[in-house]
Order: sequence, then structure tokens, then C-alpha cells
Amino acid sequence: MKQGNAVLVDLTQCIGCGSCAVACKLWNGRPFEQDSPATGTNPVANDANWTTLAQKQIIKEGTPAWRFVKRQCMHCEEPACVAACFAKAMRKTEEGPVIYRPDLCVGCRYCMLACPFETPTYEWMKVLPFVSKCQMCSTRLAEGRAPACTEPCPTGALRFGQREELLTLAREKIGTGKYVDHIYGEKEAGGTSWLYLSDVPFASIGFRTDVVWEPLPNITEHYIRRTPALLLGGAALFMILSRFLQRREAVSAPEEKQHD
Amino acid sequence: MKAVVSASAMLPLSGCLVREKKTGAEGWLPRHYDAPGNWPPQVRGRVPIDPANPSIVRADRNCVLCGQCIEVCRRVQTIFGTYKLPVRDDFICVHCGQCALWCPTAAISEADDIARVKQSLKDPSKVVIVQTAPSTRVGIGEEFGLAAGSWAEGKQVAALRRLGFRKVFDTNFAADLTILEESSELIRRLQGASEEPLPQFTSCCPGWVKFVEYYHPELIPHLSTAKSPQQMFGALAKTYYAKKMGMDPASIFSVAIMPCTAKKFEAARPELNSAGRYWGKGPMQDVDAVLTVRELAWMMKEAGLDPASLPEEDYDSVLGEGSGAGLLFGSTGGVMEAAVRTTFHAMTGQKAPAAAFKLTPVRGLVGIKEASLDIPGHGPLRVAVAHGLRNARTVIERVKAGRCGYRFIEVMACPGGCIGGGGMPRSAVPPADDVRTKRIRSLQAGDAAKSLRESHENREVQELYRTFLERPLSPLAHELLHTGYVSRSKHLDVDPRAIAELMPDKTTETEHA
Repeated sequence: MKQGNAVLVDLTQCIGCGSCAVACKLWNGRPFEQDSPATGTNPVANDANWTTLAQKQIIKEGTPAWRFVKRQCMHCEEPACVAACFAKAMRKTEEGPVIYRPDLCVGCRYCMLACPFETPTYEWMKVLPFVSKCQMCSTRLAEGRAPACTEPCPTGALRFGQREELLTLAREKIGTGKYVDHIYGEKEAGGTSWLYLSDVPFASIGFRTDVVWEPLPNITEHYIRRTPALLLGGAALFMILSRFLQRREAVSAPEEKQHD
Repeated sequence: MKAVVSASAMLPLSGCLVREKKTGAEGWLPRHYDAPGNWPPQVRGRVPIDPANPSIVRADRNCVLCGQCIEVCRRVQTIFGTYKLPVRDDFICVHCGQCALWCPTAAISEADDIARVKQSLKDPSKVVIVQTAPSTRVGIGEEFGLAAGSWAEGKQVAALRRLGFRKVFDTNFAADLTILEESSELIRRLQGASEEPLPQFTSCCPGWVKFVEYYHPELIPHLSTAKSPQQMFGALAKTYYAKKMGMDPASIFSVAIMPCTAKKFEAARPELNSAGRYWGKGPMQDVDAVLTVRELAWMMKEAGLDPASLPEEDYDSVLGEGSGAGLLFGSTGGVMEAAVRTTFHAMTGQKAPAAAFKLTPVRGLVGIKEASLDIPGHGPLRVAVAHGLRNARTVIERVKAGRCGYRFIEVMACPGGCIGGGGMPRSAVPPADDVRTKRIRSLQAGDAAKSLRESHENREVQELYRTFLERPLSPLAHELLHTGYVSRSKHLDVDPRAIAELMPDKTTETEHA
């Protein structure tokens, strides 16, 4: 398992105050948009809302209950978006964040297709649009500071630290029996820098549970590594075919003339 | 040349010649979050607010995460953090609105009901009537630059008439009525004529009532069943008043000007539709809209109404007369003082002694106040007054310990009482005790200046009983003026240890705010 910065989200401790969403906007200068709220029952994840906080109504032990789910880029250990990006606009840094550089982006949006968590969004409404996603406050992390969203959390539901330590802590918490036995993000997509603990099944609060555990770039590598050979082989095949057709044409040409 | 250009355009795409540079924002965060390190700052985050909260809303774009709302919700009101996590299915909130007063950027404010009121003012099929709470008249002036506690009763009435309200009534009238019902109930409890236990707690404060429903449902039998003045007024406006004027109760749109955000919640409580039940007309809330003092000031400013240029006008009659006792409802200890005057009279048939007209032990801003009044033939009546919910917890502990012998306890959720309510002008941040004191002094001076200083002497209340309700606690009075409460304990998992931590020194009786 790789070392690196990570955040452990203990969903049982979240009271839904939305401090994280506001801190994200303050630090990253994201606009507050009236028709796309970052919190509530139907938050909108877009270029203005890098982090969202959704209120989920569930049934726990026969009684209605609420859970609040903070979502942002999961910052995969081996990100599919980075593998998909041929312009090198997506990159995984040593500190942990998967960062995006708009000055390198060509706007192909392959990252959006590649992401198993549907994280990167596109600035559809802009004349010169870019992809947009949570950067895990990479400038703060480079200075040894926690991501902006984790700092004002009044209940300590967001905990910033080293991934290994947080995983140990998460296992200890699961040991108390108050949580489901699953650290979301430990294995998903080959492991992510954001880890989640919950006392209710992750599927019931809107998490994708069909994400493969193998790093997505590994899966694609099996066939993508054959593309050079395929390309060259294809080219060679068509050259031979072309040669053959040309020759046949040259041979048959005088015969056709006689029929005229 | 062309080749050079296209090659240089291709190089970044290929990943060559890419200079490392910082990615990410260099944004702004309040200073205390902006220091390197990972330790928790002293003040952090904010309280959760239900998007559907009928009383308060928050504009995220104005929030700076300063944590003041948490400070007041936790330390003064002992709500935030006094329940175990995970949450159940509620944003625990008593709607007191203190967070709205403390919020330095006004990100938290009252849920806006101005549009609804304006719409009904324009609607020709509606008769829009309004009541004004006691403390509004010592608050509204501050919104227009007058000194804290400036008396603006007559000017407020004039402003409301000019805004188009058909009839301007006084909640003080209903406060007097509340005193008659509540003290009759107290006397029944004192005489053992009722199954309800002693001590009796007041129930005028919707924040306090919801607090009991959340944290101490076992005390619900101790709560007076009398409705708050706002709701008594609402019920009577659509029954007694409508009958008297020959009006269709459904055409009445009843507005209340309140110093309080919790009153918005109270007005929306589904059981408070006595008029609808009385007329058999199905759901019809007794009070249709509640505006805070700040909202009224906003409407006045928008209409260009400045108190300085307005005349002094009087309330309309039928539901407009209020005694000095009713006026005192706006400050901590005021309900108690008013109740003592009337209870003494009801139990002895005599006017209460002069001390009851300046009941010093229950006046002032000490967090928990006690008094004992000797009632001839009945012995001493021990009473207590608390304001701020942290102090209320202390009183509840004393009652449960059973060593105080209190008979009647007044609780107001906001420090200072209604004059420090969450809907009052933001005169100082955080609301300072000297502003509260000035507002209270103004109410007390108003009481002292009145010739009518006892609730039972209110002529309009007397007429109401003579022509409609018969007597306090009559069946009709019960139907219209009394209510019940519901336990909300299933919505939260109270954390006694967290509460104990917030009350480190249980003997402290001064209120720090």
C-alpha cells in the first residue's frame, strides 16, 4: 500500500452543517450559484461545487434516519483520469492529490469518461470551457496544511493524515462494532486518498459499490499496450493490400481496353 | 517557419517542455484557519440549519465559518453538541435565532415572510390584521438610528397603518389574557384541584417549549397548557373578533410582529388551528404570518416610513388594550411579575402589595432569579425565573433535586427575554447586556407610567370573558386558548455527559453572553 496524505470521512459524525462546502468555495474561489446548491437533498456537483454534501434519508433499524454524505474527488492512488489524459493535464502528486492543469488541457474530456466516480465536470456554460475538479488543496498540502474543507469541520468527521495511519484508525473504529465492515476507498479503484466509514451500507447512501478493486489503468494496459503493434501491423497489412490491388489493376488494364 | 510553430504547439501536448508549476487556489479563508498545521482552531465551523427550517435561513455566500453560531448555540443555549452522533432524523433546533443575532456577517437571518404578507396586503379579499409583541416597541427604533430601548409604540402603530394593515392590535391584550388563564391554572394546581403537577412552568416561549419537548418530555405535564399570547390572539381574531365584526374568518389574514424567530415555527405548528376547528372549516392556521422586528423595519424602510416623521397613534379597540403587566412580558421576569399581580388578586381578592409592582428580585439580567411572595391565607409562593436555556437546565436540575419548593417557574429561551430575541435589531454583536438592559428599562418605565397595571383590570379582556369565554378555564377557553405538547425525544439521543461539560459550575447564576 502506498503512503501519502489522505482524509478519513466518518459519516456517522457528520451533522450536515456544510462547513466543508463553504470552506472549499472560500479557498478555491468557487462561485455560489443559486440554482446549483452544494448542500441539501439534491446538491449539484459542478465546476462551482467541487465538494457537495448530500442529505440522504434512509431507514436504520426500522426507523427513519438521516445521513449526510460529503462527495468530492476521491483522489485515486492510481487514477484512471491520469491514464486517460494524453495531454498530461491530470497528474497524481507525491503528496496525494490528483491535480488538473487547465493550461495543458485540450478539452477532450476523456478524464470524465474514465473516472469511475464521475468526478471531473466540464464548464459547459463557458465560452472557453475547461474540466474542473477538486484539487485536494494541493497548494496547502505542499505546505503541510490540511485541505480547506477538513479544517472547519465542527465534529471532526473529516480527519486529515497519512493514509496508513488513517486506515489503522478506521479499522480500530470498525472494531467497535458501530460501523459496517468496509472502508470505502481502501480497495475501490485500487485505493483512493479519501476514505469513508459508515454505519449503514454504502449502497444505501448513494455510493457506487460496483467499482472494481483493481486499479483501472492496469485493466486497460493489457490491451492498450498492444496498440503500437496493432497500428504498425495494420499499416503493413494495408500496404501489402494496396500493392496487390495496384498490381492487379496494372495487369488487367490492357484487357479492359480491348472490350471498348 | 510553419514547422517551428506547429512543433512548439505540439511540445506541451507531448509532455515535453512542461514547467512544473503550482496547481490549486490561493484563496481566502478566515485568518484562524489559514495557519500552517493541523491542530483544531479554537472556533470552527457552523451550526447545521435545516433548509426547511421555518424560522432561520443561512446564505452560504456570506458565511465565513467564524463559529459564532456554534458558540451561542452550545454555550448559551446548550443545544449544539448535546446530542449523540450519528444524528437521527432532525436538525436539532429550538428556533431561538440567537445564532442570527451573533452572526457577524448576517449570513444567518430569519426566514423571509415579507413576500407573503405583501401579497395578502394587495389581495382585496383579505382583511389583514396585525398584532405587535410587547418588546417590538422598544426595538424598532434602533433600526432607524434611535438609541437602544427607545419607546416607539405609537409610531409603530402609525407605520403599520401606513403599510396597509387594516387593524393594528396589541399582543399585550393577549398577554393579559394569558396571565388570567395561566394564573387560574396555577391556582388550580396549588389548590390540588388539578391532576397537573407543581411547579408550573410558563409556556409562552416557543423556544423553551420545543426545548422541553426535545430534552425533557417528562416535564410536559408541568408546562402550562395556556397558549402563548401570539396564539391566543390568533385564535381569538378568527373567532371572537370575526363573530363580533360579522366577518368571514377565512378572509382574515393574521400577521404577528414579533421579536422572535421561534414564533414563526410556533405559528406553523399544525395543532395551532383552533379557529379552523371552531368553525369546522378544516385547516386554517390561527396566525398566518410572523414578521420579526427586523422584517418590519425592512418593510418600513422600503416604503420610506421613518419613525421620526410619523405621528403617535393608538391601537385599535376590541383586541388592542394592554396593561403594564402585559407589557412586561417582553423582558425576563416580566411574565412572573404580571402573574404575581393577578394571582395575588385572584387568591385574596385584594390588590397585590406595592412590592408586586416593582418585583425587584425577578428583574435584571441575573441568569436565575428567585422570589417568594407571602399570600395571606396561603403561605409563601416561591417562584423562579430563568432566561437562556443553559440557565433553564440548571433550574430543571434543581426542580428534579426537589429542594427548592418552587411553585411557578418562568423560562424564556433568549438571554434577557424577548427583548433579546432572535428577531430583534442587531444593535451590537454579540448582543450586549447594556442594550438588553436599556430595552428592559424602557418596558419597565412603560409599565410604571400606565394606570392599568394588572392583567385582570384590562377592560377589553373583561369584556371578552363577559360576552364570549365566560370565565378563565371555561370549556370554550380550553378549546381556544389552551394546547398540548408532543415529545420529540425520538428525534435525538441526548448526551448527558456533553451537557454536564457545558455546565462546569452549576452554582454560577450569572448569564454570560
